[in-house]
Amino acid sequence: MHIPDGFLNNNLAGVLLAGALGMLGYCFSKVFKAVTVFAGTSAGNNGNTNTRFNSFGFSKGVDKYFQKLAIIALWVFAFQMFNIPVQSATSVHLIGGVFAAVLIGPFLGFITISSVLVIQSLFSDGGIIALGANIFNMAFIGSFASYYIYKILSRNYYIAILLACFFSVLIASLSCLVELGISGTISFTTAFKDMMKLHLAAAFLETIITLILLKTFKNLIGDINE
Amino acid sequence: MNKKTAAVIFPIFVVILASLFASKSPDTLETMAINYGFEGKAKEVISLFRDYSFPFIDNQFVSTFLAGITGLVFLFVLYRIMNRIVRCFGK
Repeated sequence: MHIPDGFLNNNLAGVLLAGALGMLGYCFSKVFKAVTVFAGTSAGNNGNTNTRFNSFGFSKGVDKYFQKLAIIALWVFAFQMFNIPVQSATSVHLIGGVFAAVLIGPFLGFITISSVLVIQSLFSDGGIIALGANIFNMAFIGSFASYYIYKILSRNYYIAILLACFFSVLIASLSCLVELGISGTISFTTAFKDMMKLHLAAAFLETIITLILLKTFKNLIGDINE
Repeated sequence: MNKKTAAVIFPIFVVILASLFASKSPDTLETMAINYGFEGKAKEVISLFRDYSFPFIDNQFVSTFLAGITGLVFLFVLYRIMNRIVRCFGK
């Protein structure tokens, strides 16, 4: 779903890039707050108040926390490289927003997926000018929409993950289509059905891979805040 | 094996599998672009690692694997830098 340069008009791409940078700045401020103020709500621990950094020293705690964040980013990057073939000579890959947001909350999830997208743009997987649009579609919608869907339905873990994956992928693809429609690249109404149909397989695979990754992460790393 | 070591080796293992078995078919957006005839609008970006490969390495597996590992190293370095910045601000 990475939009290359040229698909979007420069004005829209510029606005989305500025918005993405602003949002990244805001999320970083949340991270600073979470790690420098021990009391209060952390940006990335799903609302738990105890970041536990003070239990074994600030520097060591921050280092450990960032190691875990890096591991999440590395896993998402590796899985986004793995394109899985689906119907009619098309392939899909993980977005990873639900995986990141469920583990570390929407703000850090946004930073994590954005960091992956930034590195991917160096590999021309997604454009440089279109980076803002890609961050909006995959990092912002992927983290925030999925996190709140997951929270609302969190009574049943599997249904929450299923619907968070399902809706985050479909909303992200819808957002991508709207951006292409505004840019005059494609007619929204004509392409809507095909776009949704193609992304149903992506949503299905997102659910399966997310469940496997969450289970594996919990087995290997445990709780992100420990 | 230490669990944390396993967590770091895991993405390397996935990159190896991706280098060997990842589908070369266009992804969903590329398929849409082909079907609706706007794939030509994509601008070629000059990159040393274009499409997860090094142009000077002939072997596709080696090329994709090294590009993937390079991406993982870049990400790791990015998080080390963020870690340092947060530590500096925290003191």
